[in-house]
Amino acid sequence: MDFKKILVAVDGSENSARAVSYTGDMVGDGSAKQIMLLCIERFPDRDLFPDEESWKQRCVAHREELQQFLGEARATLTAKGVHDSRISERYVVSCSSPFADRSTARCSFGTSIAQEILAVLKEERFGTVVVGRRGVSKAEEFLFGSVSNKIIHHAKDCTIWVVA
Amino acid sequence: MEPDNRAFVRDLVAQYAPHFPRKRCGRLVTDTSEFMAVDHGDVIALGGKHYLVLRDEAERRFGMEDPKYWVKRCSELETGERKILKLVFYETFPLKLGNFEIRCHRSPEKEARILDLVRGDLRFMQGKTIRDEKDNAVRILDIVHGKQLDAVIENIDTDHETYFREHLPDLLEKFIGACESIAHLHTLGEKHGDIRRDHLWVEYNSGAYRWIDFDYAFDFHENPFGLDIFGLGNILLFLVGKKEHTSYTMGGGAFSNQVLSSLTPDDFSLMFPHRLSNLRKLFPYIPDELNNVLLHFSAGTYVFYDTVDELLGELRPCLQLLR
Repeated sequence: MDFKKILVAVDGSENSARAVSYTGDMVGDGSAKQIMLLCIERFPDRDLFPDEESWKQRCVAHREELQQFLGEARATLTAKGVHDSRISERYVVSCSSPFADRSTARCSFGTSIAQEILAVLKEERFGTVVVGRRGVSKAEEFLFGSVSNKIIHHAKDCTIWVVA
Repeated sequence: MEPDNRAFVRDLVAQYAPHFPRKRCGRLVTDTSEFMAVDHGDVIALGGKHYLVLRDEAERRFGMEDPKYWVKRCSELETGERKILKLVFYETFPLKLGNFEIRCHRSPEKEARILDLVRGDLRFMQGKTIRDEKDNAVRILDIVHGKQLDAVIENIDTDHETYFREHLPDLLEKFIGACESIAHLHTLGEKHGDIRRDHLWVEYNSGAYRWIDFDYAFDFHENPFGLDIFGLGNILLFLVGKKEHTSYTMGGGAFSNQVLSSLTPDDFSLMFPHRLSNLRKLFPYIPDELNNVLLHFSAGTYVFYDTVDELLGELRPCLQLLR
C-alpha cells in the first residue's frame, strides 16, 4: 500500500470539510502522490416524501450541493498547496436515484457508505483514508450507525485519519 | 352532499347489512383524501367493493385512547367480513426514544409495498392496497383476531420464577420465530419501522405471532436495521422480565437492598436509562447466555448487533438452556 495515495471521503458536511482542510494542511507541501475526493451519493428515501415530484426536487438540490462541495474541496486543497493535477474526484451516484444515471455500472445502494468507501480504497489501492467524524453517543451509534467507526473496525492495510 | 349517493348507500346497506340503522347511513365516498370527513355510516367504494364505516380505530397507550382518524373499522358489505381500512395520511413527527428524538415519517407506499411482499406469509398482517379515484393508496387489512403480546404476558398470573420456568420457553420459541420473520423482511430490503410489543399480536386460535403496522419510515442509512433490532431487544427484555423493570418499579420490597444497591448505570438500557437490562441481577436463575443477549441492549455494551441474524445466533441456543 502506498500511504501517499490518499482517499478523502466527503459527504458535504462540516465534518468532511474539516477532513479536507486537515488533509491539505498535512500534504500541501507536495508530499502526496494522489488525492481522490470520494463522494458517495445518498439520497433521502423515497418513502419520506408524499409524491415523486417533491422527492425528485430534493434529490436535484442534494446532488447540486454535493457537486458544489466537491468543487470547494478541490479549491481548499489547491489553496493549501496541493497541485491540481494530483487531485481527482469520484462521484458515485445512488442506485435508488430518480435520475437515469442510476443504471451506471457503479452505483451506491446506500445501505453502508463505510463499506463502499472501503471498496474503493481496496480497488484503487489507496494507502490512507481520511474521514470526518461528527461524534456520536453510544446510543446514536447503535441506532444510526457511524461511518467512521465502521471504517476503523473494518479497514485493513491502510492508515486512517479521523478528523473530529 | 349528493342525495343520489345517500339513496344508493341506504339501498346498499339495506341489502347487505339490514340491521344497520337506516338513519345512520351516510354518503358514498370515492375520494378518501379528506379522511377526517369520512364518518360512521359512510360507505367507501374501492375496487368494486363497498366498505361500511363503523368507527375510527384507536390505539390505547399509557392508559389513554389515541384516536386514529385515518384508520377505519369497516364491514365489507358484499362479504360481511370486518376489515380495517387505512386511508392515506402523510405526517412527519418527532419520535422520542429515550433521551433523543428521531424524525418519523408515515408512509402509505411503504406499507403497501410490504403488504405485497408478505402476501400469504401469516407471520405478518395480511391485506391489499386499492387506489381510490384520487390515487390514494388505501390499505384494506384483514383483522388479526388475537391479543397484543404484552397483554398475553401480563395476563399470566404467576410469580416470575414459575413464569420463567413454565411459560417462557414456549414464548421465547415463538418470539424467535417472530425475529426470523423480521430478518426475512430485512433480506427483502424492507424495515418494519415500528417494532413494539403492541405491534406483535398473538392469534387466539393458532397462538401464532403476527406483526402489524408497517407504515413508519425513517432516514437511517449506516445502520438501516438498527431501529428494528432495538425494538426486538425491548420486546425480549419485556418477555424475559415478564414486564418492564425500571428504577421506579423495583422498590417496594420485591428485591433486597443488596440487589438494588448492586445496580449500576451500565445495567440499564442504552436508550432508556431507567429500564433495567441486566435482569440476571434481579433473577439469578436467568442463564448467563440469555442475559448476555439482554446486555447487548444495555448502556454497558460495546458490541451491537448489526443484523437480526446476529441476535438470533445468540438467542437460539438459549432456548435449549431453558428447556
